[in-house]
Amino acid sequence: MVDSVLVAQQLINGMLFGGILVIIAIGLSLIFGVGGVLNFSHGAIFMIGGYIGLFTAQLTDSFLFAAIAGTIGGFILGVVIEVGFVRRIRSRDDIGIAAIMLTLGIAIVLENFMRTTQGSFHQSLPVSFGTAVWNVGPIIVVSRRVYIFLLAIAAIAGLFAIIKYTKVGLGIQAVAQDRQTALLMGIRPNRIYAITFGISAALAGLAGVLLAPLFSIYPSVGWRPFLLAFIVVMIGGLGSLRGTLVAAVVIALVRSLATTWFSTQTTFIILFLFMIVVLYLNPQGLKEVVEA
Amino acid sequence: MSGESIRAGIDRTLGQLSGDVRSAKGMFMLALLLIAAVSPLLVSRHWVGIIIQIAIYALVVLSWNFIAGYFGLFTFAHAALFGVGGYGTAIVAAEYGVPPMLAPLLGGLAAGLLALPVIVPVLRLADDYVAMVTLAYAEILHRAAIILDGITGGPTGYTGIGSMFGGGQLVFFYFVLAVVAGLALLQYGLLVSRFGLIARAIRESEDAAQMLGNNTIRFKTIGFVIGSSIAGIAGGLQAYYIGIVSPPMMALTQMIDFLAMAVVGGLGVMTGPVAGTVIVHGSTEALRQIGDIRLLLWGILLIAVILYFPKGFMGDDRFWDRIEALLDRFRGGSS
Repeated sequence: MVDSVLVAQQLINGMLFGGILVIIAIGLSLIFGVGGVLNFSHGAIFMIGGYIGLFTAQLTDSFLFAAIAGTIGGFILGVVIEVGFVRRIRSRDDIGIAAIMLTLGIAIVLENFMRTTQGSFHQSLPVSFGTAVWNVGPIIVVSRRVYIFLLAIAAIAGLFAIIKYTKVGLGIQAVAQDRQTALLMGIRPNRIYAITFGISAALAGLAGVLLAPLFSIYPSVGWRPFLLAFIVVMIGGLGSLRGTLVAAVVIALVRSLATTWFSTQTTFIILFLFMIVVLYLNPQGLKEVVEA
Repeated sequence: MSGESIRAGIDRTLGQLSGDVRSAKGMFMLALLLIAAVSPLLVSRHWVGIIIQIAIYALVVLSWNFIAGYFGLFTFAHAALFGVGGYGTAIVAAEYGVPPMLAPLLGGLAAGLLALPVIVPVLRLADDYVAMVTLAYAEILHRAAIILDGITGGPTGYTGIGSMFGGGQLVFFYFVLAVVAGLALLQYGLLVSRFGLIARAIRESEDAAQMLGNNTIRFKTIGFVIGSSIAGIAGGLQAYYIGIVSPPMMALTQMIDFLAMAVVGGLGVMTGPVAGTVIVHGSTEALRQIGDIRLLLWGILLIAVILYFPKGFMGDDRFWDRIEALLDRFRGGSS
């Protein structure tokens, strides 16, 4: 049946996209879970990562170096944003709203900085790897997408390993659960916030590089992945990494299936509607369902 | 409300106003209004157009501040409802022959009606969750405007609105100024009354406001609908001002512009939105020659205001002192 092939093809594509969506969304979720900050500059960090990857790839002609540079660049940018900006408003009563406005301002600055220095045109990453096309039965898979997917999986595994097995990860968990008690146990919350922001931004930067060969890079490229990640994080439960993981995969699959029949706009409407319903019924998202 | 209580409300508003207008901020606002009123004598048609735009945006930001600054409901759906008002106005005027001066009122009604569905989740949530759910709703409206091209004209927008007052810019200018001033006064009147007190009580502590016997759900709903309807009326004026209503009017980027104006001017201060709009939109237009750098500059301005003047230009008295000190240094340095 032609239809089932189409569906299978879309599911494969959705899965591959889902891998990248996970690392964008999980970074967003992580910052909220640990610091209570909804980071509206997450998409801009993604965009900066993409540009760093682009410049690195132009210099070295290596996608792996580009991905590493994007990750490191994202980490540094994240630490700068936390230490230089978000930290200054952390003690305010209206931290939630103030942080939204502040990170929006940072997003505007980053976006327009790239616009003034690079122009608004679309640039593509000049990499010539993974051009082989694999035929799995009737399904076509471009090998580049699989490599990118594997890199994304490695990053997620790395993140979970850091959080579960390292001392820093233990600190992150402790601050997320109870900042005051963590402080009493000798953990410096400020350091944890900076590292968490750095890790989150590193993931966004990496995602920017990973998505660059599939799409292209321009100053406002980050908004669409940000909105998708935003939906994922809301549905998965803000701050819940496992919830985010599951929600990202489900939404990536739903999105690629839905775009087969509906327009992108309609798909977004359905997803946003679903998000509102989830928030209405359970502001914690679906994480209880997932983790139970 | 009976006629008598309305008259009492008007008396109280005017009494309060005559006091407030003598304060420094009141004088500043009065000066801005007077400058705007005589501006057609002083500046080119191009700048009169910009002042019309500033007035319309100021009304949007005023009504956003009405909801966010006083009730503490940080809505992201405002630009989208501004657009709904624009579409509503354009459609009733072009297709049902509603007179141009009346059409924006129906646009406001449309925005008020489309504000209702999102109120249901908004009433259940607080703080940044309100921002999230209204952002999602705004994106739904924005994308619906793109898809429903049979009604809205699709991605390219709705044209054929016609013009108000046969296209005379000067009459339209004074009409906009009068509508904006009138609706600003209406919001002022509400905010200095018991209604405004309860709004602020809800913002500070909803539980306490409820415990004192106020139906906070009713007040939040009324506040949200009034604010959104006023944004819709502003959208109707905008439709007549630019002659086209298109999806970018409802986009997240437009919302961010409004937020920036509100934050720069000062949240929860009646005069903040006007000052914020004049500063942000005025400077954006004045610096048009320098290109995209101006967007970079106002991003930096937004960050600086949040970090150093969290109460905004009109809300922070330290700000006025610093400006004064800066001016003194400037005067000393140049002589």
